Amino acid sequence: MNSQSSPSLRQALTPSDNDSSPERKALLAEIDASCRRPVLFMFANGLLWLMAGTALALLTSYKMHSPNFLADWSWLTFGRVRPAHLNTMVYGFASQVAIGVAIWLMCRLGRVPFMQGGLVVGATIFWNIGVTVGIVGILAGDSTSIEWLEMPGYAAYILFIAYALIAIWAIIAFRFRRERHLYVSQWYLLAALFWFPWLYSAANMMLVIDPVRGTVQGAVNWWFAHNVLGLWFTPIGLAAIYYFIPKVIGRPIHSYFLSTLGFWSLALFYNWAGIHHLIGGPMPAWLITVSVVASMMMIIPVVTVAINHHMTMVGHFKKLKYSPTLRFIVFGAMSYTVVSLQGSSMAIRSLNEVTHFTHYTIAHAHLGVYAFFTMVMFGSMYYIVPRLALREWPSARLISIHFWTTALGILLYVVPLSVGGVLQGLAMNNPDIPFLKTVELTKPYLVTRTFAGILMTVGHTVFAVNFVWILARRRKAYQPPVPFIAAGLQQEAGAQLGKDI
Amino acid sequence: MLIYIIILAGSFVFLTGSALLALRWALRTGQLRDSRRTALLVFDEDEPVGRMTDYFPGRPLPPTDPASPSISK
Amino acid sequence: MKYGPLLFLGIFLTLASSWVGLTVIPQMQFGGLQTTKIEETGRDYPLNTWGAASKGRELYRANGCIYCHSQQVRPQGFGADIERGWGTRRSVSRDYLYDKPVFLGTMRTGPDLTNIGQRQPSVDWHLSHLYDPQITSKGSTMPPYRFLFEQRKIGAKPSPDALKLTGEFATPPGYEIVPTENAKDLVAYLLSLRADAALLEAPLGK
Repeated sequence: MNSQSSPSLRQALTPSDNDSSPERKALLAEIDASCRRPVLFMFANGLLWLMAGTALALLTSYKMHSPNFLADWSWLTFGRVRPAHLNTMVYGFASQVAIGVAIWLMCRLGRVPFMQGGLVVGATIFWNIGVTVGIVGILAGDSTSIEWLEMPGYAAYILFIAYALIAIWAIIAFRFRRERHLYVSQWYLLAALFWFPWLYSAANMMLVIDPVRGTVQGAVNWWFAHNVLGLWFTPIGLAAIYYFIPKVIGRPIHSYFLSTLGFWSLALFYNWAGIHHLIGGPMPAWLITVSVVASMMMIIPVVTVAINHHMTMVGHFKKLKYSPTLRFIVFGAMSYTVVSLQGSSMAIRSLNEVTHFTHYTIAHAHLGVYAFFTMVMFGSMYYIVPRLALREWPSARLISIHFWTTALGILLYVVPLSVGGVLQGLAMNNPDIPFLKTVELTKPYLVTRTFAGILMTVGHTVFAVNFVWILARRRKAYQPPVPFIAAGLQQEAGAQLGKDI
Repeated sequence: MLIYIIILAGSFVFLTGSALLALRWALRTGQLRDSRRTALLVFDEDEPVGRMTDYFPGRPLPPTDPASPSISK
Repeated sequence: MKYGPLLFLGIFLTLASSWVGLTVIPQMQFGGLQTTKIEETGRDYPLNTWGAASKGRELYRANGCIYCHSQQVRPQGFGADIERGWGTRRSVSRDYLYDKPVFLGTMRTGPDLTNIGQRQPSVDWHLSHLYDPQITSKGSTMPPYRFLFEQRKIGAKPSPDALKLTGEFATPPGYEIVPTENAKDLVAYLLSLRADAALLEAPLGK
C-alpha cells in the first residue's frame, strides 16, 4: 500500500524501535495525556464563549446601523451589548484558549507532564463563573465603563483568583522542566503569564477598587488596555507561531538570534506605547510623546519577527495547502506584521488626527485580536486537540470552510471599515460638514461589517461542530495504542493497520 | 520636581545597568553562541527536522514529502 | 539559554518600568491636582456633580454612552473640535478632577459631550432625543432609550412632564409618554456637563 499517513501522532503514541532516550520518548504521549483534561476543558469553555461572543457581536454590529432593533430592553441596549461582546471575547474566549495553549506549549517544550490537571479544571470552572458573573453584571448595568475592564469589581476578584490558581501550575511546569534549555516560545509564555496578573490587578486596583484621581485614570486605563493586547495576547500568539511554524513544516526557525532580539525589543517598547490612545487628549505632553516614540520603536520587534517567520517559511509555502494549522498560523503571523505596522502609523499625530475617534480604530483592533491572535489560536487548536483527544478531526471540509469564512470574513470586516473610518475622520475634521453627515456616510460600511460578521459566524459554528464531533466520537473504535491516520484511508487502512501491529 | 528627576535618573541608571550586566553575563557564558542548537529544541527523534507534522485529515498528502512514511509496505 | 531567573528579572523590569513610568509618575505629577478659583465668578472649579446629576452620571456609565460619545475637546489646530462648537477651549486634566471613572472616550459615532450642557440647554430637547433620537436628529444611529420612559393611560389630568409628540412619533390616543426619574436624572447630568470656564492652563479658544 503506497498511501501515506501523518507520522506525528502515530509516532508519539507508539514507542519506536530504536529507542535511544526512553524517558524523552515516553514524554510526548505522557505530556499530551496529562494535558488532556484541563486543556480540552478550557478549549470547550472557550468555544462556548466564542459562540456567545459572536452572537453579541452580531447584535452589536446590527444595532450600529439599525438602532431600533431590540432597543427597548435595557439589558440589550447598545452600550451594554458592546462591552459584553468585548469582555466575552477577551476573558471568556481568547484568554481561556490562550491559557490552554500556553499550558500545552509549556509542558511540551519543557518536556514535563502537567501536574494537578484536576485542580486546574476546578480553577477553570471558577474562571468561567467569574466571566459569567461579569457579563451578567455588564448587561444588568454594573459595567464600569472603563474600556477593556468593564467587568464589575466583584467579577474581577473571581477572575484574578482563578487565574492565579491556573497560571501557578504553568509556572511550576516551567520551573520543573526536564529540558533545561529554553526555546524562545517559553520566554514569551513565561513573560505573558507573569505580565497579565500584574496588569490586571494593578489596573483594577487603580481604576475600579480605589480609583486614582482625574485623568490619571486615563493613563492607567490605556497602559492596561493596550498591554492586554501587547503583553498578554501578543506574546502567547508569538509563542505559538514560533513553535508551530517550525514544528509543522519540519524546519527550525530561520534565526534564533533574531527571535531573542525580537523578544527583548517587544518587552521594552510595547508596554510604553499605550497612551497613544489619548493623543490630543487632556494629558501632559511628555506622557503622550513617550508613547508615540515607543509605538515607533515597535517597528523593530515587528520587522524582526516578520523577517524571521518569512525566512523560515520560504520554500515551504506549498505546505499551506496540506496543513490546517499552518494556514491559520501563517495567516495570523502575516496579520501580526500588518496590524503592528498599522498600529505604529496610527500613533503618528497627523494620521491620528484623522483616525482617532473613528471606526478605523475598531477595524484595527479586530485586525489585532482576530486576524492575528484568534487565527493563531484556531491554528493551535487544530494541532493540539487531535493529540489530546487521540483521534483525527472528523471533517476536513469543515476545517476548510472554517478557514475561508473567517479569513475572508475578517478581510471583509477590516478593509471596508478602515476606508469608512478614514472618510468619517476626514469629514469630522471638516467643520463645514454637519455632524449627522459623518454618521450617514459610515452606514454602508457598517452594513458590510454585519455581512462580514455573518460570514465569521458561519466559520465559528462550523468549528464548534467539528470540535463537538471530535470529542463526541465513540472512544471504542480507538483503542490505544492508536495509530493515527491522516490521509483518506480511515476505512481500508484501518484493516491494514490491524494486521501490521 | 526634584523627586521626578531623581526617580527618572535612578531608574535610568538601574535599567541601563542591569541591561549591561545581563549582556556581559550573556557574552561571558556563551549565551549568544550556538543558537542553532536552541532552535532545534522543538524537534526530537520522533518528530525530527524535515518531517511535516500536521495534515488535513482524509486528504491527499504532499506528493514529494519524504517525511511521510507509508503505514504498510 | 537555560537561565530562568535572569529571564524572569528582565521580564519583571520591563513591565515595572512602564508601570512606574505610565501610571505611578503621572499619579505623582498630577494625581494631586486641586480645584481652582475662577476669577470672574469667584467660584471653585470644577464642582463635583451632586443630586440628580450624579445619579444621571451612573446611568451614563451603566448604559455605556462612552462607546459613542467622547468627553474631551482636542486643542485648536488638531481636529475640528472647537470649530464644531464642541468646546470653547481644549480639555485639560483639571476638568476631570471628580470623575470616577473619567469618560474620556475613544469613539465619536456621536458628537463630543464635554460641553453639551451649554450647547443644548433644553430639557425638552434632551428628553425627546432620548425617547427617540429621530425626533430631533433625523438619520442618527443612536438607539432610542424608551426604557427610560413610561407609556401610560392619561388619568384625570395629563401629566405635566409628558412628552409633546406629534406626527409619526405621536402616542395612541388616550396615552402619554412620561419620563421616569432615570430619564430626568440622565438629562440633569447632561446639562451639568459644561467646560466653559477659562483656566490659567487653558484660555478660551485654544
